[in-house]
Amino acid sequence: MAMDMEAARRSPPKQVTVRIRRYDPETKKTWWQEYKIEAHRGMTVLDALLKIKEDVDHTIVMRYSCRQGICGSCGVVVNGTPRLACQTQLTEVVSDANPVMTIEPLYNFPVIRDLMTDFTDFFNKHRSVKPYLIRNDKEEQENPKGQYDMYPDEYLQIYQYTNCVYCGLCYAACPVVAADPEFLGPQALMYALRFVNDVRDEGWKERFLIVDTEHGCHRCHFAASCSAVCPKAVDPAGAIQSLRSKLFRFRLGLYKRRVSKIIGPPPEKGEKVPLPPEATLLPGVDLKKLEEEPVVIKLPEDY
Amino acid sequence: MAREQGGAVEKENRPGFWRSSLNPWTVRTKNNPERVAFVLHRVTGFIILAFLLAHILETDSPVWSQIVYHVNGWAFWNHIMGIESGLAFRIGEFIVAGAVLFHAPNGIRLLLTEFFGVGVGRPGDPKPPYVPFTFTAAQRQWLYAVFVVWIVLWIIAGVIIFT
Repeated sequence: MAMDMEAARRSPPKQVTVRIRRYDPETKKTWWQEYKIEAHRGMTVLDALLKIKEDVDHTIVMRYSCRQGICGSCGVVVNGTPRLACQTQLTEVVSDANPVMTIEPLYNFPVIRDLMTDFTDFFNKHRSVKPYLIRNDKEEQENPKGQYDMYPDEYLQIYQYTNCVYCGLCYAACPVVAADPEFLGPQALMYALRFVNDVRDEGWKERFLIVDTEHGCHRCHFAASCSAVCPKAVDPAGAIQSLRSKLFRFRLGLYKRRVSKIIGPPPEKGEKVPLPPEATLLPGVDLKKLEEEPVVIKLPEDY
Repeated sequence: MAREQGGAVEKENRPGFWRSSLNPWTVRTKNNPERVAFVLHRVTGFIILAFLLAHILETDSPVWSQIVYHVNGWAFWNHIMGIESGLAFRIGEFIVAGAVLFHAPNGIRLLLTEFFGVGVGRPGDPKPPYVPFTFTAAQRQWLYAVFVVWIVLWIIAGVIIFT
């Protein structure tokens, strides 16, 4: 989901009502609990949850870590939309007209307690698509003798998929996962394509056989909600369609792509590796001119 | 925790049938007309299937009416045609026409994207405001075209059916 940059500049209502769907594994009861908090400008949903945990109710259980949208731990469903709590401004979900916000644990995941969900299935599915480089030469895979060549356009084929933070929002939004719990899910299928697209990888046949099942990529019906809620624009929906079309060509015997080769041994420890100047410079910087007129940064005397 | 309890958490707390079945309607996503198309495609598919079953029964009625009711087949056929010329059946026909007119063009869009991978954009370097490439690619325009074609043809079908 695209970040709303304007939201942080607006002010939320002074008092926000937070309704949290809670679950107690000991009594196996689920209930809605309501809290009222004082909101301030720039407050995120995670800030609101932490404020409740610190000041009002210590018994709320949730998962969070980095508070800046990198770890992917704090995924919750806010007003029916799966979101990262730390990246969601209060102003995006509440207004003066409706200062009520509902927070639920992620859909399609078993709940452990309150807002904390169990990711065991999710990561098992991720592991099942072999998310690592596979080479036909096992000796080369275990003890690589050098580095593999890869061109920038080939890198762009995998770059956006490597941004995945495993937050599970795509999995929570997917209507197919809801209907078929054994469906591999948008994240695992996207990761299969990430390695199918990687020119350093030779294991596409194995991955195609893994995803070419009843619960694999054919189960996707392109509701594209995974892409709509993804906080990193990883675009799993497009990835699954791309994977399916490649699988289609593979089954017809038409799928071909380049496999990169080792280019020289890795540098020794301490050895300087010359890089092409265009790879190291910002656009518009002339290396020769820099040598003639070096840029001197003057620091203040009391630094 | 799940591992300590031997997967008990997964079994006990897996979302139930109703919650799972209602998921396509309960999850709210912004900038996602594909989800609307997904729900409509399913609903229209069920309508078309129900129509096909009823249509088979209807066209085969001169045969099975003789076996079930021991009546003249063509007399029964005329009887059914009399019932079907009523307003309720015309409304039903209008709904079936709408279902077919959405399902067919949307099916072509899905064939193109799902089997041939066209119209979903190419992977690249996401830049702020981080809109997925699939949402700026051709399939989104095709989807809007499907909605427009559907509404226009449905209106025409309505004029033909009710006049």
